Amino acid sequence: MTPALSILAQEPISAAPSAGLMIILISAALTDNILLTRFLGMCPFLSVSKQLKSAFGMGLAVVFVVTCTTVLNFWVYRYLLVPLEPYGVPAESLKLILFIVVIAGFVQFMEMLIERVSLGLYFSLGIFLPLITVNCAILGASLFMVINVTSKGFDTLDVLMFGFGTGLGWFIAIMLLSGIRQRLKKANIPPALEGPGITLIITGIMAMAFVVFQGMIKI
Amino acid sequence: MDALVSILLSAAAATGVTVGLAALLLVAERVLISYGQCAVDINDGAKRLDVKGGQTLLSTLKSEGIFIPSACGGRGTCAYCKVKVLDGGGPIVPTELPLLSPEEVRDNVRISCQIKVRNDMRLAIPEELFSIREFIGTLERVRDLTHDIKELTIRLVDPEIIEFRPGQYIQIEAPAYGDNPEPVYRAYSISSSPSMRDRIELVVRRVPNGICTTWVFDRLREGDPIRLNGPYGEFRLSDDASKKMIWIAGGSGMAPFWSMIRHMQEQGIERDCTYFFGAVTPRDLFYVEELARLSEELPWFRFVPALSGKDLPDWEGEKGLITEVVDRHIQDGSDKEAYLCGSSGMIDASIKVLRAKGIPEDRIYYDKFN
Amino acid sequence: MTNSTDPPDYHVPKTYGTRQDPEEQRLRNRMAPGVLCRDGFLGHDHRPVNEIIASDRAEVDRLGLTSQQLADRLQEILEATDPAPGATRDVGENLEAKFTEGMGRIPSPFADGIFPKGEVELRRTDTGETLTFTPLSVHLIREHDFYQGHGSRYRIDPARLARVLGME
Repeated sequence: MTPALSILAQEPISAAPSAGLMIILISAALTDNILLTRFLGMCPFLSVSKQLKSAFGMGLAVVFVVTCTTVLNFWVYRYLLVPLEPYGVPAESLKLILFIVVIAGFVQFMEMLIERVSLGLYFSLGIFLPLITVNCAILGASLFMVINVTSKGFDTLDVLMFGFGTGLGWFIAIMLLSGIRQRLKKANIPPALEGPGITLIITGIMAMAFVVFQGMIKI
Repeated sequence: MDALVSILLSAAAATGVTVGLAALLLVAERVLISYGQCAVDINDGAKRLDVKGGQTLLSTLKSEGIFIPSACGGRGTCAYCKVKVLDGGGPIVPTELPLLSPEEVRDNVRISCQIKVRNDMRLAIPEELFSIREFIGTLERVRDLTHDIKELTIRLVDPEIIEFRPGQYIQIEAPAYGDNPEPVYRAYSISSSPSMRDRIELVVRRVPNGICTTWVFDRLREGDPIRLNGPYGEFRLSDDASKKMIWIAGGSGMAPFWSMIRHMQEQGIERDCTYFFGAVTPRDLFYVEELARLSEELPWFRFVPALSGKDLPDWEGEKGLITEVVDRHIQDGSDKEAYLCGSSGMIDASIKVLRAKGIPEDRIYYDKFN
Repeated sequence: MTNSTDPPDYHVPKTYGTRQDPEEQRLRNRMAPGVLCRDGFLGHDHRPVNEIIASDRAEVDRLGLTSQQLADRLQEILEATDPAPGATRDVGENLEAKFTEGMGRIPSPFADGIFPKGEVELRRTDTGETLTFTPLSVHLIREHDFYQGHGSRYRIDPARLARVLGME
């Protein structure tokens, strides 16, 4: 396999709990950037990165939702699915459905809460919340969390750092792309590439840059 | 047996989580989204409403019988529904910003279809909005006045009577039809006299690519129901009977003046009045015989139709643009006041001419379509 | 009655990114038929609004012009004709125009203003070619490089506009 493709085949590089919460955070944010390394969460990434302000809002919303839902899904996995496994309940397949339901429900709940608590925040962030439900990075984070739990024995706090790190990684990626796109406005782009074309090319180049982080963290 | 147990347990787990979440959301909705009763104070205590929060201010007021004008039915595009919210309006909603000027924002003017009633509020609303009603009527008669203008006669069903001043307008609702997904509201001046209280007449001109006029011209049939609300508007005869009146209109701008002149005739209001009506060709004129007859019967009223088209050998009346005709006929504006109804271009051009004749801005009244 | 010279079944498949872009979705909703005006602003064009704009802007560049210039000329013609609704006026070499008034106002789909209704019909007296525009369409061209989707009533191909105005 070529080095490029081998990245996709790798397991997420994550540290055993003893190696520290910071390592979990940094590896989730940088070396295993959910977007640039794992290629999840591309749709809103491409469309919302046009404006710096919306990118910021969307990024924050993603960080918040991913952090909370990975923890919630962890509890659903450990305290509902795992105990039921001996009875033949297939945790691996059921978790997919349950995670999606939990994410959707959580986002709905958040929308209501924010509207009630802070109208200002609701107006700036509110439109992004329904979009987050279909952001595959959120579901992806929860699924990777399960892999980490079963292989590395993560606990609640580890999962929290992992979720937060994943969201942070997505946030960094979208802010970077948005900044680049602002510069692009003055650039001379061939008409055929305007919009999605040039954005994907840039994303690819950014992903290559992030390859540099591979292998940085070895436990 | 084991397989059955595992299937049942899986289903129970999945259902349990889903139902649990749904229940949580329902509770959250009840607790978080319900805003309870809110007290809405209007015009410093002139009216006090006790309403259930959660709806937009526009629809809340509507359900309490106070009709704020709205052309787009609450979609946040027409900017007709402005209301002064002195207290309790919350932060400005992003969808309001493009519709408000900086001065309006400073004055606490808000777009009432975009803000929700979440707590007690204090509002300032113009007095005349309190007399606006919603009506259901039936199209009694439709008549072609020209190739692109129709006269509608609407009989009022509920309520049966309307009271208005000549010059005011109503809004009719064009229902969802064909490609049009939602009802829209459009304003038309009432062209009938207020004495005919159980029916109103409207003069409607086809607007290119218009949602409402396409419905009126292509789909509306005699006997169809029509929803409308009103009356709205400040355009009316002034209280100063000493000034001679100049009326200028074109196309469907005829409507308010057709109401005014018949009202004046019925009530014996004998104010000196010259009515300039502009069109392009003879086929664009309507009500000409009636107005010519009134011109003869009433010594204080003169009707001056003017055509701007070229090559009109059979036309013996005034020729040229309406502004040119007014320019020719009026010399001294010091004892006159002017009433204009038509497109903004025509009105702006007319105002220039009138001011040059010595009629000050505060004696020029207009009903700009745009 | 459209200005586009494209074949009637011109069709571009939906692009993926539009579904998750709230700005684009909001724009498309406001541009749909029956929302702000009877026929809407997109005609049968399925491309995202940004793509329509990018494609037309590129064409304007190729003509060596700017949307600002085109819009200014249209504005000039509008101001020459709107005081005299229904009258045909000479507005340039081999060019005449007529303003038909329309009662009411129409908001911009970009939520940046409310404009009078009415339309101007431009006619080249030498070739007979016609073109129709509105005060709102002038604003859309000037502020957004938006010439409207293929099949929209007031769509103007930039090349056709330049030709009729004699600005090529």
